[in-house]
Amino acid sequence: MYTVKHFVPLLLLILSVSTLKGQSCVFTIEGRVLDLHDNTPIFGAIIKIEGSDLFGQSDEQGYYKINSVCFGQARLIVSHISCDPIDRIVTIRSNTKMDFELEHHINELNEIIILEDGLIQVNSSVSESQLNVDQLTRLSNQNLAETLNNISGVSSLKTGSSIAKPMIHGLYGSRVAIIADGMRMQDQEWGADHAPNIDLNGFESVQVVKGAAALKYGGDTVGGMILLSPERINLKDSLYGKTIFNGVDNGKGGSVSTRLTKSFDNGYFISGLLNAKQFGDLQAPDYSLTNTGLKESNIGFRLGRTKILKGWEVNYRRFQNSTGILRSAHIGNIEDLLRALESNSPLRIEPFDYEINSPKQKAIHQNIQANYFNQYSDRAKLTVDYNYQISNRKEYDVRRGNRSSQAAIDLTLKTHDFLGSIQWKKDFKWNFEWGVNAMLQDNFSNPETGVKRLIPDHQKYQAGTFISGNYRPSNNFSWEWGFRFDQIVLNAQKFYDTSNWISRGYNIRYTEFEQKDFGTQILTNPRLNFSNISAQTGFALEIGESVETTFSYMLTQRAPNVSELFSDGLHHSLATIEYGFLGLQKETSQKLILGINKKSEFLGISIDPYLNRVSNFIFIEPSGVELTIRGAFPVWEYQSTEVLMWGMDAYAKINLAKNLKYNINAAYTYAQDILAAEPLISVPPFSLFQQLSYTFPKSELEIEMAHSFTATQSRFPDTNFRVNRIESGVIVQQEVDISTPPDGYHNFDLYFSLPLTKNNLKSTLRLIVQNLTNASYNDYLNRLRFYATEIGRAVQLQLVFNY
Amino acid sequence: MLFASFALTSLFISCDKDEDPELIEEQELITTVVLNITSDGAANQTVRWNMDTNQTPTISLQANQQYQVSISFLDESDPADTEDITEEVKEEADEHQVFYEFSGVTISYSSGQGDVTDSANNPLYLNSIWTASSAGTGTARVYLIHEPTTKTSTSRGGFGGETDVEVDFTVVVSE
Repeated sequence: MYTVKHFVPLLLLILSVSTLKGQSCVFTIEGRVLDLHDNTPIFGAIIKIEGSDLFGQSDEQGYYKINSVCFGQARLIVSHISCDPIDRIVTIRSNTKMDFELEHHINELNEIIILEDGLIQVNSSVSESQLNVDQLTRLSNQNLAETLNNISGVSSLKTGSSIAKPMIHGLYGSRVAIIADGMRMQDQEWGADHAPNIDLNGFESVQVVKGAAALKYGGDTVGGMILLSPERINLKDSLYGKTIFNGVDNGKGGSVSTRLTKSFDNGYFISGLLNAKQFGDLQAPDYSLTNTGLKESNIGFRLGRTKILKGWEVNYRRFQNSTGILRSAHIGNIEDLLRALESNSPLRIEPFDYEINSPKQKAIHQNIQANYFNQYSDRAKLTVDYNYQISNRKEYDVRRGNRSSQAAIDLTLKTHDFLGSIQWKKDFKWNFEWGVNAMLQDNFSNPETGVKRLIPDHQKYQAGTFISGNYRPSNNFSWEWGFRFDQIVLNAQKFYDTSNWISRGYNIRYTEFEQKDFGTQILTNPRLNFSNISAQTGFALEIGESVETTFSYMLTQRAPNVSELFSDGLHHSLATIEYGFLGLQKETSQKLILGINKKSEFLGISIDPYLNRVSNFIFIEPSGVELTIRGAFPVWEYQSTEVLMWGMDAYAKINLAKNLKYNINAAYTYAQDILAAEPLISVPPFSLFQQLSYTFPKSELEIEMAHSFTATQSRFPDTNFRVNRIESGVIVQQEVDISTPPDGYHNFDLYFSLPLTKNNLKSTLRLIVQNLTNASYNDYLNRLRFYATEIGRAVQLQLVFNY
Repeated sequence: MLFASFALTSLFISCDKDEDPELIEEQELITTVVLNITSDGAANQTVRWNMDTNQTPTISLQANQQYQVSISFLDESDPADTEDITEEVKEEADEHQVFYEFSGVTISYSSGQGDVTDSANNPLYLNSIWTASSAGTGTARVYLIHEPTTKTSTSRGGFGGETDVEVDFTVVVSE
């Protein structure tokens, strides 16, 4: 590869030059030329002294020598046909030894990297699922949780039709980390009814790991991790981009997303992203879902320089949305809830419009990030990441006295997050990574709302360190391990109703937290400390040509989050009063995941059973009734219990014929509250998803039919309560059945995808029909399922331009 | 690096927070429902349902006698500053409705003197006239409904909307 044709003539030249030496020109410069990337010797590099005829040339071992070098300053230029040249000024006073490390031309390295194809696996002992660019593009007008729904073991916890939180193995919220571009998103601690503030169009791939497999990003992800990676920059002089147009009949809306990247062959790049989305009221098969419109606008930019072995980047993302919540889901008391349950359709149906009225949520999430990495040698790499997130969330209720335009919840969460790590490759077999993670967080609840704070003002400090490694003695075996330690300090300033503070015994148990007595309210300053240990170990073993087994054990500890500790207020769509519990302890989970994969040309199968035992599992359960001016309300309080979960995710992919592919996946989760001897609430029922796709050989038109089946959840706790209603002058006691899960359902989707190639650039036209049969159904994991069915048929037209 | 140090500096400034959070007085709170009941030849009755005591007060009526009932909604969370929420209800007459429901006793009611009507001339029943037809003991349930879907109904279900107030009073009707 490094042969140079004029090698022999050059040697002759050097010999002839040496005869011309002057009096002070008696010194030699010698050394080695090595490849910066892998330390291999570079053969045939030329080391030239500018302004003279002196040359040196490296041999097979990378050694070079220049004789007859004169006293004084010399400018050395080291060059090689496939490497970037080095230009260095040196002062020669004696015989000098100098080594050079040459770096390959970036475009050449780029080719090597592209060959590697795809993403680096997060942890080889835990199987993971991925979504590629095409799959993401197809769903570019949907939210993160919906996009992941077709991955086995992943579901979403919804609040209405547009707000969804991803769920892994039945767990969500603080138990699932969303890692965007290497840093964890900080907006998941405010309760169940808001979605992660992220625009998928800013990313190019999604990896889902069903456990705390990457301790680098946190040791408290009992459920798992979702890793979003941005587009990989092309390392040559180019300008490229992508624009996606979506139009959907249901909701009469659509989205436009465009991304433009300029890259230079010296590694510099700049990239920008714009995305706008708007929908009006969505349509269920039998009625319009009043006030379910949505507006979203996102921008982002990246600036940096990447040279494979080292690089830096600064980026900024801003996410803004406004989401309407079904008007009928805003109720006053449990009798209102009972009426909604008894009705076949929402109690308020108005003509279609785009307006988003109260109840609604508004979110603005800004993310500033800077990172730097340097692979100092073949063995050591340093990575430093700093990230600042400002997240503002406002919720608007239907209020009296023109207050509907005034937010009822207005929270601002600011987070500084730092992550630094050193990777060290001891040799071919042993790899280590050590790092530190520090976080400072401040939450401010705006008092102008005129409504008591749902989440109190607080500061959270977290410092952690981790070490992980892997041992790979051969290509068919690897062993992974990792430890992480975190110290968390939570400092909150919270007002309690004095009556509440006393009735819950806090005045005796937490006297030291009391700050100031305001009569009916008391200001307290709870300061809580948690020390968490997490660990992971596992192995991957290949048996024969096509079978791989993986096994992983994960120990995770999670500190209770602020909503679990401090929630305090009325939930307008569930007619419940929710209380946090100050006495909560950290949650400890031990999870075992086994994976069996078989891959062949025609068939791919993977089966992943898992077992998860959680101690001090924090959840919310009904704890009584509180009489208010609106009648009796069920009170739900955060508590902890012992939980056993197990389940299995299975996946199969079959190439039936050359252009005919079939895949199927299924997931089942069992979750039991051991202490109460009853099932856990909101656990996804058995689900199955299958897809059949055919690609026409000539036109490359792809047709795909997808079917999903969600079973009826038969395991659920009884959280029903009773209400006294007056019917024709008589008080009648009635049961409000909020526990019974809805019936299972089938859903069909149809996709057409036609590639349009022009000037080597691939554009795509897609037609997507979701809920093809316009089926009317309710989903157990939708917290607003009592008020309306899921949305009906949606026909979407999509145009993707690459340039 | 410069960028990071700038951000870190701003952090230490923002962390320097010594003052306590502001106390929030709930703006839309209704703590108290007061019924003022008057009738010719009978003593005035003022019955109160208060959030803190949440006892069921008793209304005493005589059968076949007309009573003027005026209802008011108060926020007494700050004892030094009682707010009359009834004013807000009057101002937003179109979005509110008072409704009475009875069990165990038969009481009919109609709009009374000084009652407020909405833009469609529907009475709000802030002032009403009650007449009990026979003796007995039962319950009067008082509702304040926000944004009802209709303003003319004879059952709570018929009105739709959200319940802002729902409290019970014991009613004793004597011959």
